[in-house]
Amino acid sequence: MDFRDKVVLITGASRGIGAAIAKAFAAEGASVAVNYLRNVDAADDVVSECRKTGGDASAFQADVTGANDVDVLIDSVLETFGKIDILVNNAFSPYAFDPENRKMFCDLDWADYQSQIDGALRSTHGMCKAVLPAMRGQAQGTIINMATDLVARPSVPYHDYTTAKAALIGFSRNLAAELGPIGIRVNCVAPGIVYPTDGTRDTKEDVKDMIISQTPLKRLARPEDVAGPVLFLASPWSGFMTGQVLYVDGGLVMT
Amino acid sequence: MTQDEIIRELLDFIAADDAAESAFDRLALEIFAYQFKHNEPLRKFCLQRGRTPRTAKSWRDIPAVPINAFKELTLSCCAREDAERVFMTSGTTMGGLRGKSHHPNLAVYDASMTTHFKQRFMPDRDRIDMGILFPDEDVMPNSSLAHYLALALEHFGTDDSRNEMGKSGIDFDALFGWLERAETTGVPYALLGASYSFVPLLDEMKRRDVRFALPAGSRMFDTGGFKGQSRDISADDFYTQLSDSFGVPRRWCINMYGMTELSTQFYDNGNEVCPSVKSGPHWIRSRVINPLTGEDVPRGDVGVLTHCDLAHFNIVSTILTEDAGVEVDGGFLLLGRADGEEAKGCSMAVEEFLKAANVAATG
Amino acid sequence: MIERAGYLPGVAANDIAWQTLRFGGNENPIEIAVPELSDHQMQSMAATVRTASRKLKARPTQQIVESIDRTVARLLDRSEPIRQKAEDLLPRVTGYDAEMVRLGLTGYLKTFRKPELQKFLAEDFANPMMLDDFQPMPKGGLARAFGPDILAHIWAGNVPGLPIWSLVSGLLVKAGNIGKVPSAEPLFAGWFAQLLAKTEPEIADCLAVVWWQGGDTAREAALLREADVVLAYGGNDALAAIRGRVPITTRYLPYGHKVSFGMVSKSALNSRKVTATAHQAAYDVVRYDQQGCYSPHVFFVQRGGKISPKEFCQYVAHELAAFEKKYPRRSLSVSEAGAIAAWRHQEEIKSFGEGGRQILSDATGAWSVVYSEDSEDLAPSGLNRTIKIVAVDELADVAPRIAPYRKFLQTVGISAPPDELYALGALLGQEGITRISALGHMTAPEAGWHHDGRFNLLDLITITEIEGSAEKAADAFARYAD
Repeated sequence: MDFRDKVVLITGASRGIGAAIAKAFAAEGASVAVNYLRNVDAADDVVSECRKTGGDASAFQADVTGANDVDVLIDSVLETFGKIDILVNNAFSPYAFDPENRKMFCDLDWADYQSQIDGALRSTHGMCKAVLPAMRGQAQGTIINMATDLVARPSVPYHDYTTAKAALIGFSRNLAAELGPIGIRVNCVAPGIVYPTDGTRDTKEDVKDMIISQTPLKRLARPEDVAGPVLFLASPWSGFMTGQVLYVDGGLVMT
Repeated sequence: MTQDEIIRELLDFIAADDAAESAFDRLALEIFAYQFKHNEPLRKFCLQRGRTPRTAKSWRDIPAVPINAFKELTLSCCAREDAERVFMTSGTTMGGLRGKSHHPNLAVYDASMTTHFKQRFMPDRDRIDMGILFPDEDVMPNSSLAHYLALALEHFGTDDSRNEMGKSGIDFDALFGWLERAETTGVPYALLGASYSFVPLLDEMKRRDVRFALPAGSRMFDTGGFKGQSRDISADDFYTQLSDSFGVPRRWCINMYGMTELSTQFYDNGNEVCPSVKSGPHWIRSRVINPLTGEDVPRGDVGVLTHCDLAHFNIVSTILTEDAGVEVDGGFLLLGRADGEEAKGCSMAVEEFLKAANVAATG
Repeated sequence: MIERAGYLPGVAANDIAWQTLRFGGNENPIEIAVPELSDHQMQSMAATVRTASRKLKARPTQQIVESIDRTVARLLDRSEPIRQKAEDLLPRVTGYDAEMVRLGLTGYLKTFRKPELQKFLAEDFANPMMLDDFQPMPKGGLARAFGPDILAHIWAGNVPGLPIWSLVSGLLVKAGNIGKVPSAEPLFAGWFAQLLAKTEPEIADCLAVVWWQGGDTAREAALLREADVVLAYGGNDALAAIRGRVPITTRYLPYGHKVSFGMVSKSALNSRKVTATAHQAAYDVVRYDQQGCYSPHVFFVQRGGKISPKEFCQYVAHELAAFEKKYPRRSLSVSEAGAIAAWRHQEEIKSFGEGGRQILSDATGAWSVVYSEDSEDLAPSGLNRTIKIVAVDELADVAPRIAPYRKFLQTVGISAPPDELYALGALLGQEGITRISALGHMTAPEAGWHHDGRFNLLDLITITEIEGSAEKAADAFARYAD
């Protein structure tokens, strides 16, 4: 897959899945805009990795849950790279995936749901709205939103996190239906547990083993495993696919 | 980089013997970044195509500006008032709009011209007796060709060199005098001019039934072709006539391909065969592209010529011409204009429409 | 076996000098043999056609209608060998996508079935029986319509099947027909003639199809000498040149190049209707790659709908991208590509000045959409799937922008509610527009369409009238006179 001359903007790309996606695009020649919230050192590391593998990259600080920041972010990326071909909405509000100490339903307030919705859905909404004029100007573009396989199969009921992601999938499909006629595709990638990331670094072994035992491909996803499907959805190889959710969890969920 | 830094680097680059593609790339991209910063219409043009200096990895990634843009826009990095010289096209096209190129100073233009002229037209000697068939620089201050020929005269002409075209045309008697002298003394002579300037000369020689047998080392120079002039001659016929009338072998009838929109020129190694192979110095590179996709055509296919001329730093260095060409060993062949043609169907094409609309307007 | 074009009654096949035309480039080359007649051959062929046309004139019009209908029925039958040849060879010769050619042929041929032929007749003649016998006239007396002995057709362009329109018109008025095919599509007319000859041997010789190299004025003269009426398609220069060579006593009917366009009302631009509107507009653009006189060069789109004209561009752009997959554009010559590039570059340069102008195009150059907010005049596009979309406040605003180009106007495709349609009809008719169709239908004129506002059949005939005075006078000499 050749991403030379393509510009990719990835939110929350200083670590974890976002960073892996950034490096994967860069290795195929893309120019990558690495958005980060706080961790400037980690973001700079990702940028140098990207440049080493043959692509180009720059770091852009922004809080994508805020409308103003989002506009400034888009403008900076356009000024640096001239266009935006691919948007990957990866950022979400920090979440502790702890099956043993998770907040059960009665412990949760609406504010918890709201926080996850703001992190996953609101930021995606804002980014999509802000990036659209640039993509419309080319009559083509690709948006990839990070969902989760927990929406289809809540192996652990992380109510607030998964509800927000479910809404994100509905949001993505509606956007796909409306933007299809102007050549912009919107798809989701739904990984299962991805290890290691900030959110899963402390997951207990027996939890991991349980999931592995139910996974046909008999392991957990690494961040790099998620990158491939993202690149696929960003490439012309998926040119006739939109509104889809690709499950990347070793077959744990089949739907 | 500042303008002065660019000029210094360019002068060094031109003076060097040759350049690897990587060195050319580096300087081309620096100049592109400079132009992107200072040349607003160019910036808009590049952004419209989603290209910034950041995403250009080689000179081939620099968007080629169509040559027509020079008529419609001021593509200058320096302020217009700060230009030492403005070269304009001859304005024979629709609406009389003339393409402009602003030069903050002529150091780079002059270096480009003289360095390459020496290599291609004067490889064997420092100076030669010259006759120029073109109006003087003072008469045509906005003509790049007038300036070019003035440089040729100044740097490569002996004291016995003259401009033979005055206000009333070519001074035939004077010119024939010089040509006869060259015959008698055996001292080589060079005649330089616009291609169409030779036509009245050849006509007059025919009328007077006059021919010359210039001594070995003599050479002819023409540029510009015959488009839009009163007579159309094929290149082959032209060089035969030139060679016969002056006794100069076609190998030493050199054609120069240049334009107001560039600061560097291409030459051939004579015109024994037409069309001849044209090539340029190490500070200009050319591509043959599909005008629709901007991609290089397969080698050997016909396409439209695009030139990246580092010396044209104040304006835009990468130009999409209207000339069709094909890449060959050692350079390219010029194949005439890559214009539109009449429609194949009953739908009107632009050229027909404009022609008819013009007739309607003036009729 | 090299395919031979043309149909030459009265000339021995062995005596004909054949030239070879090459198509299809390097990938899928094909050669077609085209006939070049000597002066003598043209003369004797014209004599054959002339004689045959007398036989045609003795036939009732209805019979001729049925003969054409039977021939067209065979051409509509996809198992008919000549139809299969057409589906195979026409795409290779013209470069148009095979699907587009197949569907286009069927759609076009439907225009020449019996009910449609009757529409041609009804459109021009209040009483089509005039073609068979003297009929009473409103002013008194009787009139009969006589078609020419030799109607010469000089066809142009590469739209498959184009010659059939005038050939059928010629047959309906019982003319003898000699048509010269364009080098860009030399086949279909000859096939039609062949099939007609097979279906109706009685009238086989009243159609002839020839060819000559563009610029061969000697061969052209040989045909013009024989013709009573000359019908020609082409650019203005070519048409003027032919006119210079047509004797003053011969009727000359030129059909020149045209610029057509579309208009979209804001009513067609809500969130539900926009996709259909964009689809129709794009269809009119891709059909025969805009080579028809009826193909749009510009769409004038009204502001104020839910979808703005600028957004409408994006819908049209994607439709063009989808059509590129469905009916890929034919490959272009260097100068055709240059024409598009030149047009696009001009637009790009204009876009630096004011804001608002936007260019959307496919990376391979397969299509281009330019959006403009300027109050610019009508101008041709670069053709071959290049279209400009101009935003206007009111569709009526367009009238002054097209007025200077009256001589080149033909079709307007409109997407608007009824009251706007009729109001625009009046405005556009005033400015010289001769056909208003629905968007999506611009490239498929109805049977009986008044091509450039003219009369398909009436323009070909002469009327012989027996005045009332002659009738009355004759009465006096009747054996039964009182």
